[in-house]
Amino acid sequence: MPGDDAVLRPASPSALTLELAYDDAPLRAAPGDTVSAALLRAGRVATGRSLKFRRPRGPFCLQGDCGTCLLRVDGEPNLRACTTRVRAGMQLQSQNRVLPRGPDPTALVDTVFAAGMDHHHFMVRPRLVNTIMQEVARNLAGLGTLPDAPSEPPAPPRHEAPQVLVVGAGPAGLAVLRRLRRAGLAAVCVERLDRDGARARCGDDDAEVRYDTAVFGLYPREHGGGVVAARVHDGDARGIVTFAPRHLVLATGTRDVIVPLRNNDLPGVLAARGLASLLRRTGDTLAVPGVVVGEGERATALARQLRLELLAPTAVEAVLGGARVEAIATREGRRELGVVALAGTPAPASELARQCGARVRWADAGFVVARDETGRAAADTWTTWACGEVCGVAERDAADDGERVAEALLAAIGRAP
Amino acid sequence: MTQRVFVCRCEDVTVAEIQHAIALGLGSVEEIKRYTGLGTGPCQGKECIVALVRLLLAERAVTPEAVQPFTARPPAEPVTLAELASVAGTPPPEDGP
Ligand code: FES
Repeated sequence: MPGDDAVLRPASPSALTLELAYDDAPLRAAPGDTVSAALLRAGRVATGRSLKFRRPRGPFCLQGDCGTCLLRVDGEPNLRACTTRVRAGMQLQSQNRVLPRGPDPTALVDTVFAAGMDHHHFMVRPRLVNTIMQEVARNLAGLGTLPDAPSEPPAPPRHEAPQVLVVGAGPAGLAVLRRLRRAGLAAVCVERLDRDGARARCGDDDAEVRYDTAVFGLYPREHGGGVVAARVHDGDARGIVTFAPRHLVLATGTRDVIVPLRNNDLPGVLAARGLASLLRRTGDTLAVPGVVVGEGERATALARQLRLELLAPTAVEAVLGGARVEAIATREGRRELGVVALAGTPAPASELARQCGARVRWADAGFVVARDETGRAAADTWTTWACGEVCGVAERDAADDGERVAEALLAAIGRAP
Repeated sequence: MTQRVFVCRCEDVTVAEIQHAIALGLGSVEEIKRYTGLGTGPCQGKECIVALVRLLLAERAVTPEAVQPFTARPPAEPVTLAELASVAGTPPPEDGP
């Protein structure tokens, strides 16, 4: 699939009413699209080069988890294409490229360091080479370049002290929110994805959830009280909101992970779950042939949703391509395609739980949050509860688990469920 | 282009480089992180930690009972310095209801 062959086919081309610009070319998008959706539709799969080996890179997870879709948006560097919504007139630029298109001389690094790069034993002699390597090392240290202008000042910080704060509006988080609501308790529920994205991912949404609100830090001892800090990244309302809850319910779900395969970094290698969500969100269909690589029930279901064949990781010898995926090599031979959708078992998103002292343990798919039989994971300035997939509960049981933990929480605060 | 198997795409760390680090005697999640830079890029280890642990388990460098991820610190999601600075200096919050 060389060049700019489209990866996605729009449900209705006439809906692409917005005009944007990406590097040297105009880009069309539908209102409500993510930047990634518009770029994949236009076949602009590679959006930059990797820091060390200077290999072409593009989006992978499509859900704001992996960080390889970073673009310069209206003069501001390092914004995620997959969680940034389009606006008419948006000026998008790729990053970490010498030239926006065509061959990049720094791509040579990949060949020169064919055996890998151990920066502890970087060249120190001859001195000239060392000087050049220092430049390379400096390049490795940074992403993007400085913004064109100081950014708009953020909205003034807000502070709230809800009795219960629920983080995550997937099946478990929504179940907690609704169970507490039935008991007459108004909890605050925040979700890092936007409403369309969250709905496409889990099939449900709720008018009371605060979407576009990403919890980035738990500071259990701050100000002698304890603060949960979140960033609202919805257009004009950009700014910080802090919470001092009595009870914190973590329903942060799972993230898509990399599957080790040869050339698993080529643009066009996408997370199967993220891709399926994006197709649900936009109504687009795949415009190129592809395969799903994975094993088990989940991978089978994703392959069915995407209408692609499922290959076991062991059957794949390598992903092939240059600036993007062109083919896959299996024992049976070479197969031309444009998308390789990785369906590794998603990993529990337990980072926040660990920030507030909850314990985690290894359980095949990743680190799950350990909790007592009621759902308590830690107690500090607030009580931390955890439910759903972040505890290793299966996706189909996550809502029931949330409901159960909500009942334990109600009992703990002396409210009859 | 060479053919590489990536564990960490943010910092370009491959299976071969991790095996090289293990051969040098490094064996824990933290040691591999410090030696290779794995997990220190924009995703902060969200995409790669599982693949790294599987590799360490396969090489018998760690056990499933004892293995722990790297320390989780804020920010777990992107935030600008201007936004962080907007909170600095705000008085301690009043106790809630
Ligand atoms: S963070 Fe955007 S594709 Fe992963």
